[in-house]
Amino acid sequence: MPSLLERHGDRVIGILSPLLLLLVWEGLVRFHFISGMFFPAPTSILATFMRLAGTGELWTNIGVSLRRLFWGFVIGGLPALVLGIVMGLSKPFRLFFNPLVASTYPIPKSALLPLVLLIFGLEENSKIAMVAMGVFYPVLMNSVTGVQQIPKIYFDVGTNFGASRWQTFKTIAVPGAAPFILTGIKLGVGMGLILISIAEMVGATSGLGYMIWNAWQLMDVETMYVGLFIIAFLGFAFTLLLDEAERWLLPWRPA
Amino acid sequence: MRTDAPKISIDGLSKVFSSRSGTVTALDSVSLRIAPGTFCVVVGPSGCGKTTLLRIVAGLEQQSSGNFHIARQDPRKPLNSMVFQGDSIFPWMTVWDNAAYGLKMRGAGRAEIKDVVSHYLDRTGLRRFADYYPHQLSGGMRQRVSIARAFANDPEVLFMDEPFSALDEQNKVLLQEELLRIWEEHKKTVIFITHSVDEAVTLGDQIVVMTAHPGRIKAIVDIDFPRPRNILELRRDPKFGELVFTIWGYLRAEVDLARKASH
Repeated sequence: MPSLLERHGDRVIGILSPLLLLLVWEGLVRFHFISGMFFPAPTSILATFMRLAGTGELWTNIGVSLRRLFWGFVIGGLPALVLGIVMGLSKPFRLFFNPLVASTYPIPKSALLPLVLLIFGLEENSKIAMVAMGVFYPVLMNSVTGVQQIPKIYFDVGTNFGASRWQTFKTIAVPGAAPFILTGIKLGVGMGLILISIAEMVGATSGLGYMIWNAWQLMDVETMYVGLFIIAFLGFAFTLLLDEAERWLLPWRPA
Repeated sequence: MRTDAPKISIDGLSKVFSSRSGTVTALDSVSLRIAPGTFCVVVGPSGCGKTTLLRIVAGLEQQSSGNFHIARQDPRKPLNSMVFQGDSIFPWMTVWDNAAYGLKMRGAGRAEIKDVVSHYLDRTGLRRFADYYPHQLSGGMRQRVSIARAFANDPEVLFMDEPFSALDEQNKVLLQEELLRIWEEHKKTVIFITHSVDEAVTLGDQIVVMTAHPGRIKAIVDIDFPRPRNILELRRDPKFGELVFTIWGYLRAEVDLARKASH
């Protein structure tokens, strides 16, 4: 019978480093090496977390942010996916859209927040629009590259075996580009989390970004940290989820 | 088996590639008649345009001039199916889905797909691997999938573009044997491209020797070894050596010429 460490060795080591950091942090605060005012001890952050979780306020904020992320992903990601694959397949499309993409991509999406607020108002739509913009570019660009790197021979096979345009899209372009598309989605998640936080800090009354901003105004540093930890956790959870999805969606890739 | 009406007729087919540095004549007025049921092998040095010839008759490339005709017997069947050079089976599909590709694309019925695909997976020894993905298979097995995919599509004619060139010698002989066994079931008309003279004599009824720069037909040699053929026995036959020698003679001069031209 192999020991726990033998069976889960890699995972144990992976958990070790954050655990150690928290421990050192706690010690430094307890012994007054760093100020608890700016860096509250992990135990007091945990206590605040329990209190916020108890009132239900925390769950509301998480739920609101997740809903905005979801719709932003759908509204930004799906068109990016379709447009990206079409651009990858068709040179005229690529030539037409490339300058538009190349010139709008470098604009920091955060700098567009005032304009987005102006256009979409202070309600849900502006937050969703921010996430959508953030997701759009990585998914689009990775889809284009994904299709372009598919070896030409597979398209010859499609032609030779009588695949229609739609069949080529479905049986060659999408699965062939899928590994790149998934990478685009992973990058999009990171972008989405950044932009939702920013968007919720300005003119929002709910969400994790609002929670953090509001805590700053109230000098409630512990709550700020709870918000930060939860965003970090969400990013981490999405990565795990997407890795799992990748294994399930792309069983054909060599491990 | 051979009748007067050719299954494939090629007339004055030429292909000129133009680039900034000038034009290259890949094919220079190639004409050829292939009778129904013939296993025709086109052999020649690299750069002689044999792959270009095949891609044109397969409809994957446009000729510069000349034309070709493939006689249709059954309007419901696809005109041609190709076994490509190198890895051409889809890495994202299982062996089964790869072999079924042509049938699925033309909307064949579920029962038909099941019958035909399992038949050809049986014939290629892949039945056990139906649910495997290509990355789990050896190069030889992947090429068997490609062969199964082409045969399962049940086309009027079969095209094969150096399908075994990436395989080691032992695998090559095994696959040649399997290919002949499967082909002999229906004796469809085949154009098979290779640069190996041995392979050409082993497989073919009719050998088309091509020359490079520009790609032209140098000679057509008929092979009358009886079928079904036993590859190892065949290689012991003195006639085999003679034929290989003859064809090498045609190619030899060409290879020398090409070497001189490149210096």
